[in-house]
Amino acid sequence: MTEKILADKNRVVRHSALELFEHWAIALSGLVLLLTGIFELPVAKRYYIVTVPGLGWTADFITSLYLHYAAAIVFSGVALFHVVYHLLLGEKGLWPKRGDMAASVQVIKSFLGFGKEPPMNKYLPEQRLAYVGMAVIILMLIVSGLVKTYKNIYAPDLSWTVVLWATWVHNIGFVLFFLAFIAHIAAIVLKPNRPMVRGIFTGKVRLDYARHRHALWVAGLEEARASVAMSQERQKRDAATDEMTEESVASGPDAEDDALRNSPAAPADQAEAAEKSPKD
Amino acid sequence: MKNEKCSGISRRSFLKLGAGAAAAGGLSLPGRLDAAQTGKLATLIDLSLCDGCKDRDIPACVSACKANARGRIPEPVDPIPDPWPRKTVEDWSKKQDVADRLTPYNYIYVHEAKIDGQTLYVPRRCMHCDNPACATICPFSANNKRPVGAVVIDSDLCFGGAKCKDVCPWEIPQRQSGVGIYLKVLPGFMGNGVMYKCDLCIDRLNAGKNPACIEACPRKAMLIGPREDIEKIADERARAMNGFIYGRNENGGTSTLYVSPVSFDRIHATMEKKPGRPDMKPNVERRMAKTDAYGKAVLASPVLGLAAAGALGWYSRRRKPAKEGGNND
Repeated sequence: MTEKILADKNRVVRHSALELFEHWAIALSGLVLLLTGIFELPVAKRYYIVTVPGLGWTADFITSLYLHYAAAIVFSGVALFHVVYHLLLGEKGLWPKRGDMAASVQVIKSFLGFGKEPPMNKYLPEQRLAYVGMAVIILMLIVSGLVKTYKNIYAPDLSWTVVLWATWVHNIGFVLFFLAFIAHIAAIVLKPNRPMVRGIFTGKVRLDYARHRHALWVAGLEEARASVAMSQERQKRDAATDEMTEESVASGPDAEDDALRNSPAAPADQAEAAEKSPKD
Repeated sequence: MKNEKCSGISRRSFLKLGAGAAAAGGLSLPGRLDAAQTGKLATLIDLSLCDGCKDRDIPACVSACKANARGRIPEPVDPIPDPWPRKTVEDWSKKQDVADRLTPYNYIYVHEAKIDGQTLYVPRRCMHCDNPACATICPFSANNKRPVGAVVIDSDLCFGGAKCKDVCPWEIPQRQSGVGIYLKVLPGFMGNGVMYKCDLCIDRLNAGKNPACIEACPRKAMLIGPREDIEKIADERARAMNGFIYGRNENGGTSTLYVSPVSFDRIHATMEKKPGRPDMKPNVERRMAKTDAYGKAVLASPVLGLAAAGALGWYSRRRKPAKEGGNND
């Protein structure tokens, strides 16, 4: 995890270099797949695309297949890497949470001038939902694509039922992927979302933007920083007085529970309350 | 494959050679297909036996095929919608009798190859390739290879985009515009009819019968049977006539084997590739074969991604053992 507040530069590190690599590998290979997938349909000659200078190759299905395969190597390799790597590290910030659907509606309403945005985390609730949507579409495309590839190389007489399933899952996945791509671009064109664009190029977003819009995330980062300092301090204290330590362990859990029940919804505040309670 | 000689051979003698080869091999038509239908089938076309049915208006195989396919294509809509923007319409419905080339209504024809004053008759139809690009990269999988080896276009699913024709080295499939599922979707913008070609009489095969052309041949110049048997017969006949085989290596291998006393280079030289009239280039390559290496890398890529994630994940966790939980929210 590389998230860090760079207060003097008015920036917060939002994505690591590895995450940027993952995003762009998927994005660029996905774009190549989308285009060469279109050219696997007999459209280049019919729509005179082939007459555009530099696009003569689009009429040749085998050339498009080379490119489609080459991009698929990156696409499916990195997609699998992404899911497994972040699972292994327990990084689940993009996983949907309970209430994301309602919160998304609230955010979209605020875009239209109705009401205010709820306090948000590193990712917007609709980003988490879109992530799952995209993951399902990509899974459909990869699995069906692998079946089709296997058939092309090893089993041209593979069961027709299987082939038809793979073909139609791939074709429908293609349409959904295209729509999801359009929606993704549309989302970053929206004015309130634009400050996030910097993040996917440089890994950093403006601190003032993050404080304002991703308050829970920034609070969490500040909290983490504070708690590291506090735990160091506490260690010193604990070493000095054994009696006090015993007392706090005995009363700690109950007091913590009470504090959680009575605290407001924001996790940052909960954490703060939990931190304070043993001392009370 | 041997590639020369046999040029001075007379028609009569190579007819004899063929018959002799058949006799020497103790061969007859592999007969009923009951046992063979579950396995891979192949066909053999013996050019030393085919005489082009010169005593008939249309060769027997062609007329039998036409009779079998009659009524398969519904009446095209009138007028046939103009595809946009390129307005290519292919309508053979008024020319259904054409028998000297491939059309949506004619799946076999006989080419006459005049070599050294002799005429060799070469029935032409779909080769039913071992790895047919026409089927494997059909965008809707309307075209598919059946376990028996027949490559079959489902006319209910085909949009008539003619991709199959473009990727076939012999450009076998032929389009009839104004029929098919495209009419119900976006006729102006997508699709342009249905592609038709020889399906090895798949319905007849399923019913335990031989393909119409094979059954009709008065000279038994065509055979069908289990793949290994047909391969063996082809080898024996080629050896006996000191001849040549076409279809074993072409386009990565096919399930149609031509046996000829004259080399296919010379037969190919008599053919001019035109719409509906394929040539016969020996060893024509399967272009998709070169993409196979990339395809194999595609199949390996998820495993590589997984391995990289495992290795890097393990390394990251070891480097930062204190960072438990790790929720990046």
